[in-house]
Amino acid sequence: MATEPRLDLTAVAKTGSRGAANRAEARGWAREQRRALRWGLAPALSVLALVTLAPAVWLIVTSLTPLTPTEPGSFDFSEPWQNYQQAFTSPEFVRSVWVQIELSFVTIVLQLLLGLGIALLLDKPSKLLDTVRTGFLVPMVLPPIVVAIIWKVIYTPAISPLHRLAVFLGVPFHSLIGNADTAIWAIAAADTWEWFPFTMLMALAALQMVPKEPQEAARIDGAGPVQLFWHVRLPYIRGTLVVAALFRLIDSIKAFPLIYLLTDGGPGGATQVTNYYAFVQTFNFAYWGYGSAIAMLLVAGVFLFSLLISRAGGGMALDE
Amino acid sequence: MNSRTVRAWTRYAIAVALLGVVLSPALWLVLMSFRPNSDIMATTLAFRPTLHNYAEAWTGEFRASFEHSLSASLASTLFALLIGVPAAYVLARWRFRGQHQVAMWILVTRMAPPIAFTIPFFLAYTSLGLMDTVAGLAVIYVTFNLALVIWTMKGFFDAVPRSLEEAAWIDGAGVWGAFARVALPLAAPGLAATGILCFILSWNDFFFALILTRTEAMTAPVAIVNFMQYAGFEWGKIAAGGVSVMLPVLIFTVLVRRYLVSGLTAGGVKE
Repeated sequence: MATEPRLDLTAVAKTGSRGAANRAEARGWAREQRRALRWGLAPALSVLALVTLAPAVWLIVTSLTPLTPTEPGSFDFSEPWQNYQQAFTSPEFVRSVWVQIELSFVTIVLQLLLGLGIALLLDKPSKLLDTVRTGFLVPMVLPPIVVAIIWKVIYTPAISPLHRLAVFLGVPFHSLIGNADTAIWAIAAADTWEWFPFTMLMALAALQMVPKEPQEAARIDGAGPVQLFWHVRLPYIRGTLVVAALFRLIDSIKAFPLIYLLTDGGPGGATQVTNYYAFVQTFNFAYWGYGSAIAMLLVAGVFLFSLLISRAGGGMALDE
Repeated sequence: MNSRTVRAWTRYAIAVALLGVVLSPALWLVLMSFRPNSDIMATTLAFRPTLHNYAEAWTGEFRASFEHSLSASLASTLFALLIGVPAAYVLARWRFRGQHQVAMWILVTRMAPPIAFTIPFFLAYTSLGLMDTVAGLAVIYVTFNLALVIWTMKGFFDAVPRSLEEAAWIDGAGVWGAFARVALPLAAPGLAATGILCFILSWNDFFFALILTRTEAMTAPVAIVNFMQYAGFEWGKIAAGGVSVMLPVLIFTVLVRRYLVSGLTAGGVKE
């Protein structure tokens, strides 16, 4: 797309026309095109500005105030940076960032491994495997709240088939989400289940773009399946895997329904990621100003990672 | 059977078995929704299926919440298509200064954490009287739907050969005449897929509806969670509600599975 020549707005009308009348016509056509361009773009961009830029500006403004509905005079800018200072000195905030890093890291690694593994399994032209692939998409498209309910059932000892099975096998265990040491792993498992289809799809798309010749050549040279993957296919799909990981990183920052329903950030803050911390501060405690500042920090992080994606996206295998 | 066929069948067997394992948690919920209340705690697979849980779940309030979900998702999808499709066409056909910035803006919109939108919208809706209304919900869904429409539809228009429209121009069609008669019909499958993706994303929303609605515009995902709070964990009813909410999504997914990747990575992958 990037290599396409710029369309000369008058090119079409100019073709084969020399006279003054035709030139005037060409100018009229160019004007009509420019007008059409404006009318096509203007409604969408103004709505987008209204629903995204205006809230963004407002968020910056509130993040500079200690705004809270219970104190009438709290919309004041005498100490604009206090929310940010408070955030960086708050142990709860700092801990939420670490919980976030842990959760993001674990889930991304697991999703990459599982997604890539299943992609390799399915990467053969076959009707059956195509159907199976569609089946694997189910966790990703389910409403997130339904995913949360599914795992709530799995993690609630009284009704959980998993706990029943463990009792049956003679290895009963306590509730995973009720224990501060295991809760984050329980969330990570559910999140991995929900989102490995995404890395699987990206990996499959990339695998199908790997050219056949180098693979044939390597096979003739006696390379086994492992060597073939490691030295031939992986280098081709590495770019896509990086982009998939970045997408998952950004979306993992927004994780909400699983934590809301399974642990509510607990036990004792063990699963309170930064997004959840902002939610609790804003909507449970009504610290609107402080919550806005945390949300601003999240936006800044997301913006940074988006820049990385648009850089990395250009180097993807899908680009060809 | 030679070793090649054996290998192929081993692959099929592993794939199918793995799919069974992966889907089992979701299937368990489906089973639970048909279990009689008397043995909802049981783990046997043999039970007499009943629709009792569905009858319990589908009372007035849940039905209303389903309608709210439906109207908010449909309204937002249609509006986003209406203004997003022409914009996508313009972005696909013409270069102009600031195009890269517009693209980046759309990408960040897709990426931004919902909490960042929710706080300003919450404050604005409280004073505008849009709190707890289906219209308010439809408007906030536009924040992600519009970006999705512009980006995916731009991809579909890029794939329509320009020469066809140029021919229409020479025949005297205006820019939007050629768009309506040539480009749009050719991109129709993409239009359908984009619309369905928008609908699924809106339908699946939980966070916005949790914060911006109370009772009047409560959506189905929030209504199920309310089953947990007020009904003292009636698991059968919760399962039936969950299955009801996921059913439309599963049907639509089968229709748009080919476009899922481009939809979900909208803006991040240069095509």
